[in-house]
Amino acid sequence: MNGDNPLLRVRDLKVGYEVPGDLIVPVEGVSFDLNPHEVVGLIGDAGSGKSTTALALMGLARPPGKILGGSVEFGGRDLLTLPDAEIREIRGRDIGIIVQNPRAALNPMLRVGRQIGFAYRAHNEATEAAARAHAIDMLRLVGINDPERRVEAYAHELSGGMAQRALIAMALSSTPKLLIADEPTSGLDVTIQAQFLDEMWQTVQKTGSAMLLVTQELGVIANFCDRVLVLHKGRIVEDAPVRQFFAEPQHPYSQEVLRFYHERASGYPEQVTGGAGFLRTDALTKHFPLRGSDKVVQAVDKVTISVAKGEAVGLVGESGSGKTTVGRCLMRLEHPTAGAVILDGQDITALNAAEMRKMRSRMQIVFQDPFDSVNPRWTVADILDEPLRVHEGGDKAARRERAVAALKQVDLDPSLMIAKPRDLGASTLQRINIARALICNPDFVVLDEPTSVLAPRARNSLIALLARLQKELGISYLFISHDLTTVRYLCQRVAVMYLGQIVEEGSVEQVFTAPQHPYSRALLSAHLMPDPTNRRVDNPVPAALEGEIPSPIDVPKGCYLASRCPHVTDACRANPQVLTDLGQGRAVRCERVVAGEITLQEAAHD
Amino acid sequence: MPDQVQDLLLDETTYVPPVRKADWLMRIGVSIVTLVIFLALFGPYIGPYDPTRTTIRIAVPPPGLTEIPGLLAGWIGGTLEYPPHWMGTDANGYDIFSRVIAAPRTDLKIALLANILSLITGVFFGLVAGYWRNWGTELLIRVSDVLQSFPVFIMAMVLVALAGRSATNIIIALAFVYTPIYLRLTRAEVLGQTSRGFVEAARAMGNSELSIALRHVLPNSLTPALIQSSVTIGFAILLTAGLSFVGAGVRPPTPEWGLMISTGANQIVLGEWWPSVFPGLAISLTVFGFAVLGNALERRYERG
Repeated sequence: MNGDNPLLRVRDLKVGYEVPGDLIVPVEGVSFDLNPHEVVGLIGDAGSGKSTTALALMGLARPPGKILGGSVEFGGRDLLTLPDAEIREIRGRDIGIIVQNPRAALNPMLRVGRQIGFAYRAHNEATEAAARAHAIDMLRLVGINDPERRVEAYAHELSGGMAQRALIAMALSSTPKLLIADEPTSGLDVTIQAQFLDEMWQTVQKTGSAMLLVTQELGVIANFCDRVLVLHKGRIVEDAPVRQFFAEPQHPYSQEVLRFYHERASGYPEQVTGGAGFLRTDALTKHFPLRGSDKVVQAVDKVTISVAKGEAVGLVGESGSGKTTVGRCLMRLEHPTAGAVILDGQDITALNAAEMRKMRSRMQIVFQDPFDSVNPRWTVADILDEPLRVHEGGDKAARRERAVAALKQVDLDPSLMIAKPRDLGASTLQRINIARALICNPDFVVLDEPTSVLAPRARNSLIALLARLQKELGISYLFISHDLTTVRYLCQRVAVMYLGQIVEEGSVEQVFTAPQHPYSRALLSAHLMPDPTNRRVDNPVPAALEGEIPSPIDVPKGCYLASRCPHVTDACRANPQVLTDLGQGRAVRCERVVAGEITLQEAAHD
Repeated sequence: MPDQVQDLLLDETTYVPPVRKADWLMRIGVSIVTLVIFLALFGPYIGPYDPTRTTIRIAVPPPGLTEIPGLLAGWIGGTLEYPPHWMGTDANGYDIFSRVIAAPRTDLKIALLANILSLITGVFFGLVAGYWRNWGTELLIRVSDVLQSFPVFIMAMVLVALAGRSATNIIIALAFVYTPIYLRLTRAEVLGQTSRGFVEAARAMGNSELSIALRHVLPNSLTPALIQSSVTIGFAILLTAGLSFVGAGVRPPTPEWGLMISTGANQIVLGEWWPSVFPGLAISLTVFGFAVLGNALERRYERG
C-alpha cells in the first residue's frame, strides 16, 4: 500500500537507551510510509514502542532515550538530520501531535484561547487579535459549543472531552499536513470517545491532513482507519488495509489479537434457567453526605438487580453512573443507605460484623487495579494463603497445596509462588487476584472492571478465563464494565445504569440488538464494534446525547436523562420515571418507550 | 508547543530502569555511624588511659603537628615514659582522647534507647490514630501537637529536673520529645495506605479490622519512621550532650561529650581550648553522620 509519493517515509527508525553495561532498543528498525489524506492506525501492546515511535517521528526521544539511526523523510527532507531550528519550524506547523492526557497537556495558567493563539503565532505572522479570532474558529471547527465564551476558559474549567478537543484545535491551528494522535481517547467514556473521534476524523477530512492514530483498541482501528500498522517488539510486523487486516491477519501476533473477535461472532451465551434470584438487591440506595452541607451525593438510587445461580450479569454505564458503588454495596464494603442485599435467601445488610466476616467466604470481589489490590510486600504464596487462613485455618502444607492448585486453575505456573507483585505484569497479577477470589469456592463474585487496565490481548485471554471458570465452577458473576465488547462475550444478562438508576435491563441479545431506552441506544451506538465492514465513518453519524451527565447532587426532578434526550417532552421533565417490566426479563425506565411513542429504529449492531 | 512535548516525556510506556548513582553521602554516613557504634562497644577499653581516672599531668596541651611523628615512633618503640595525651588532659588530669572515644557508650546508648522507645510508642499511636478515626484519636493527635509545640530543650530540662539526673530519666525525657514526630509521620502514612486497594481486598476477604491494621497497614507504613530514626538518633545525641552541658544530664566523671564541653568551658578563658573543642568536634561529626545517613536513606526509598 505504499504510494509513489508518500507524505512521510520512515526507514529503519531505531530508538534506544543505555543502561549500565547494556543497550536497550525498544524501537528497532521501524519502516513505513504515510500517504496524504490517509488515516493510519498504529496498534501494539503496551511496551511495544508505539509512543516512542510516535515521538521519534518528530525527532524527539524521551530521556534517557536516543534516536540511534534510520531516517524520517517528510516532504523530501530527513527530519533526523535537520538542524534544531528547522525541525522546530516543522513541529507544530507541518506535524501536529495530540497526547493522552489532555488536561495535563494544557497549561493551567493560560486561557485556552491564548494557548491556541500561541501555537498559531509560533508559525504564522498574526496579531494577537487575529490569533484569537483564529482560536475561536478552531474551537468551532472541533465542535465546541459557544467558542466565544470557551476561548476565555482555563483548563480546569473544561471537561476531559472538551480539553481534548481544545488540544486538537491547538494541533490543527496551523493546518498541519500530518496529525499524530497518541491514544487520544484513553480514559474517556465510550460516548465521549465516539463523539471525539468523529470530530477528529471529520476535521482531518476537512483540512486534508493525514493522520497517524496510535491506539490499542481494535474498535477504533476498524471504524476510523484506512490502513493498519502492527507494531510488535519494536518492529512493524504487519502493514495492511483495514478490511484485509481483520479478514486475514498474517502475523501470529495479529491473529492472536483478532482471535477473540472471530470466536465471539458465534453468537450470544446461553441463558441460565433456574436458580433465579440467588443474589438480589431490593431497592438498594446509597447516599454520600456532602461535608459542610446538608445535601447528599445520590450515588445509587433504588437499584433492584438479580443474579441467578451460575449466571453472569453485566452492569454497564459511564463513569459516575454508580455501577462501582453498587458492587461495593453488594460486598458490604459500603453500607447501603437503604434497601437490602440478599444472598441465597439471607439479607447480608442485617448481619453483624462476625457473621458478615464468615459470609465473605461465599462472596468475593476482583478490583480494577491489579497492582493496588495486593499487599506489595507479600509473595504470591502469602497473598493466596490469606483467604484460606482467615476462613479455613488448618494445616499449612495443605493450604499451600491449595494455593498451588489455585494458581494452576488460572493458568499460571506454580513457580510464581515465590514472586512478589512488583516482579509481575498487570495481567498475571489480575489472574492472581482472580485465584485469590476463587480459592475459598465462593458462590458469587463481583468483577469490578477487571480488564480495564489490560492491553487488548491480555484482556481477551482474561475474559476467556473468566468464562471458562464460570462454566467449570458454576459461580455467579456481577460483571461491572464500560467495555461493551467484553460484556457481550461473558454475560447472559445486562443492566444499563445512568446516574444511579437502572434504565434498562434484559438479556444481552435483547439489549445489544434492540436497545430501547434512549440512553442505552446512545451508549450502544457509541460503542465501536471491531468490524471494518460497517465502519462508523461510512455511515451518517448517529445523533449523540447532548451535554454531559448531570451532577448526582442535584438530580433532575423528572427523568434523569431529560436534559440530554432527543425525545424529551414536558411530561418527561416533570414525571419521575419508573422501571417497567416488559416481560421476558426485559425492563425499561422510560414512559414514552413503554407507551410505544418512540419508534424503534433498527439496531445499528449485528 | 513546548508544553505538549514536556507532557509526552512524562507519559510512560516503556520501562526505563532508574539509574542508581554511587551515593557518596550514603558512604560517609555509613562510615561515621559504623565508627560510632564500634566505639560504643569497645571505646572504654581501647583508649591509652582509663577514662574515669585522673593522671598527675594537669592541663597538658595536645602535641603540635610536628611532634606527632616523633611521639608515634616513641610510642610504638616503647621508649616513652607514659603514653602520649593525643588530645591533651583537662584541669582534673583526665586524658581527653580516652574520654572522647569512651563517651559514645553513654551517648549512643541513651540516644538509641530513647529512639527505640519513641519509635515504638509513636508508631503504635500513629497506627491507632490513622486507622481508627474518631474523637478519641483526634484528641490524641491534639495532645501530641501540644507536646510538640513545647521547646524541645526546655521540656527535657524540666522533665529531668522533676524526675532526677539519671540515664533512665534522660531516656524518658527524650522519648517524650520524639514520640510526637513518629506519631505524625506514621499517621500520615497510615492514612494513605488505608485507602489502598489491598486493604479493601483484605476486608472483602473477611479479615478483622485489627488483623488488617497489623498485617497490611502497619508493615506498609513503617518506612518513613525507620528513616527518621537515623536523624532522630543524631539529634538525641546532641540533646543528651546539651542536657549535660547545662547540668541536667549524666553525672561526672562518666565520660560524656556534653559534660566534657561543659567542664572544659571554664578553662577557655585561660587559653585552654582543647578540653572543649575535641568533644565538640566528636558531637558535630556524629550528628552529621547520622543526619547524612538518614537523608541518603530517605532519598533512596523515595526513589523506590
